[in-house]
Parts: sequence; C-alpha cells; structure tokens
Amino acid sequence: MDPADKMIQSIKKQQLRPTSRWYYRLREWVIWSLFAISIVFGAMAFSVILYAIQQADFNLVKHISHSNLELLLAILPFIWIAMMIVGLVLALISLKNTWRGYKISPLRLISANLAISVLLGIVVFIGGGATRLEAAFNRTGFDYTSIQERKQMIWSHPEEGMLSGKIEAVNDDELTLSDFGGNKWTVDIKDAFIAPILALDPGENIKLIGVQKSTGIFHADEIRPWGGPGSPSAGPRGKGHQ
Amino acid sequence: MILSGTQCAELSDAEIIRKSLEQVDYFSCLYQRYGPRLLQYIRRISSYSEEAAEDLLQDAFIKIWKNLNAYQPSLKLSSWLYRIVHNQVISSWRKEHGQQISFALNDRDQFPDTLTEDLQYDDSGEEQMERLQQAIGDLPDKYKEVVLLKYFEDMNYEEISDILKIPEGTVATRLNRARQMMAKYCKKSSTKIR
Repeated sequence: MDPADKMIQSIKKQQLRPTSRWYYRLREWVIWSLFAISIVFGAMAFSVILYAIQQADFNLVKHISHSNLELLLAILPFIWIAMMIVGLVLALISLKNTWRGYKISPLRLISANLAISVLLGIVVFIGGGATRLEAAFNRTGFDYTSIQERKQMIWSHPEEGMLSGKIEAVNDDELTLSDFGGNKWTVDIKDAFIAPILALDPGENIKLIGVQKSTGIFHADEIRPWGGPGSPSAGPRGKGHQ
Repeated sequence: MILSGTQCAELSDAEIIRKSLEQVDYFSCLYQRYGPRLLQYIRRISSYSEEAAEDLLQDAFIKIWKNLNAYQPSLKLSSWLYRIVHNQVISSWRKEHGQQISFALNDRDQFPDTLTEDLQYDDSGEEQMERLQQAIGDLPDKYKEVVLLKYFEDMNYEEISDILKIPEGTVATRLNRARQMMAKYCKKSSTKIR
C-alpha cells in the first residue's frame, strides 16, 4: 500500500481528529498570562527592595562596622528577594514556551525580563505601592518581620550610638524621647545636627546618632526624621534647624 | 482515498492544511510533498532500517495530524514538519537505545561542495572523504545535527533555528565550532597517515 494511503487509512480507522485550535489558543493565553503575572510579581518585589534600600540609610549607618550588603540583608525580608527570583524564573520559563520564544537568547530573555520588572518596580515604588504592599503583607498573619520592624531593631542600639523613637517633649537643649520599646530617654541636642525637615514637635518619630552616656541619657550628634535622611549633608546645629 | 500528485501540486501548503482540516484525504498531499525528504532525513540522522524509518515517519505524520491546529503560518511549514520528525526520531532512538544518539550518514550520501569549501578541504579522494565522514561522526550530537541540517538538508540558519528551537546565534556558534572540530580532526588524522 502507498505510504500516504496507509497513513490516511490509519487516521480514519482510529478516528483521529486534530486537537482543537481552542486548546492551543488557551495554552498560549495561559502562557502569556503567566508571563504577565510573573512580571507583576517581580515588579512588586523589586519595589519593596527599593523601599528597603531607601529605608536602610546606608550613608547614616556606615560608621558602624557593617557592609552595605549586610545592612540591606538585615533590613530586607528574604521573601521579597525570593519572590523577585521566582518571578524572573517563571517569566523566563513562560516566555521560552511561547510559539517563538526559543528565538530569543537566554541572556536577552533575562535582560528583558529584568528590565521590565525593574521599570515597573520603580513605577510602583514612586506611586507608593511598596509601602502599601508591605503593610498588606504584614497584615496577612504570616510570621513576617516588616521592613519598619527590622529598621526599628537596627536603630534600637544606643550602646552602638543608634537610637530612635517618638518625641515626647522638647526643651532648649534637650528632648525627651520614648524609644520603640517604650523606654524613656533624655537626649542632649545642644551640639546636634538637626535635619531641616524636622519640626521637633512632640509626637514626631526620629532617629538619632550619638553616644549613650548612661542609662536613659543620650548625647545626640545627628537627629534625622524616621522616614529618611532628611537632608543629604550633616552640619552643626543651627544650620539645619531654623 | 488519497489525492493524485497532480491535484496536490496545484495546492499551496496553506491550502493543503486548510482543506485537510475539512477533509482528511487532503492530508495525503502533505505526505506526498514532504514524505520522501523527511524519510531521507530520518535515515540520515539515525541508523534505522528503511522499514523502521517508514514506520517512524508514519507515526510522525499521525502526530502532525493531531497537532495540525497548532501550526502557525509565521513558521515555514517544512521547518515545523522537520521539527516534529526530528523530535520523534530522537525520542524513539532514546527509548530504544538509551541517552546516546548516533547520527549516521547514508552510504549514498555525497559530500556537498559547500562543506568541503567551508572546511577548505581540497582532497576529494576516497580516503579523504572517509576521513571527513569520520570527522562528522566524531562530533558531539548538538554539533552533528546542525552540520547535517546545514550541509545535507541545505537549510539556512533561520530554518535550523526553527527546527531545533534554538536562537540563530546559537546555530551560528555551533556551526562554527563544528567546522573547527572537523578541520582539526581531518588535519590530525591526515598527519597520522603520512
């Protein structure tokens, strides 16, 4: 029998039908959706990483004997790094499985995915999405230590010259501070640089660099807002505090 | 009932696929058009007998039929068919003989001029050709498959990329590396003989 005829007879005998085109359309749709979800995952994770970098205050704590990487790892919950990697890997796998995905070299695939995640991550970060995302994740009930909690831990070492908390009262040369653990501190601010953005009003959250004199007594060299450096450069009191 | 060669010749690849989906008999045109080339390819990349190669081709065409709706015209039809056949041969060979794939050239295979030119291999004596055949046989599979597709199936980089599902840059790199390895092998064995 002619091989072509044999094949047709075999198809007819077994009543074989081509798989529906909807199956392939659905498959392609699932792959592209997975790609989109992976990119969003990666972008969300990257925005939180940016937020952690912003909150790390590298320039302020560089006098302490820790590298920037150590500091970042201390403040950044591991889950976001893992999420970014998972997002990237999933995006790579899904893109590779599209109809023409093999055409792109792995290096280009990685670069393109990374670039999209980073760009979207920056947009989410600028839009304030990272803080909301982290707060939402914190509320889920998982055993999760947030960036703010980690930051509080880093800035709760008065013996190493780092203190933080809420202002309770301000006099001419000193202020009363309640740290995040609830302990009261009397802080000498006479010679301190005070970030221009600070109003030094009761209720304001701040962080301080200085020297612990004794239990409950701290001499401040720099006072910064809790949320950021407040100003790029340090200077004597008066230049910053109007 | 299969269609005659004349009826098939009048149809383009796209028409054959469209009509096949309406009436299976048209699918025989695809077999008539590409079957002989693909059969030769199976024989070239495996040590299967003529009969086993034909059975393998039948299985591959059944698979093509089942996946006919997956085909997208952005890809050359011949590349898609070669891809399915290639994968079918590799998978069948691995099932029967383990992981190691052994591509073998047919006895009737003539060495294309493009290959000897690219290797700057002037000798055309029987002994030299045998040496070249050994050089190809000695290549790791991933290099051997690009050499076979490029020189024996006369495919361009884009087609090879579509068949093996690798980027064109990788095709070029593998081909370049394969040429270097073959040239080195031929030079080495030629020195040994002398």
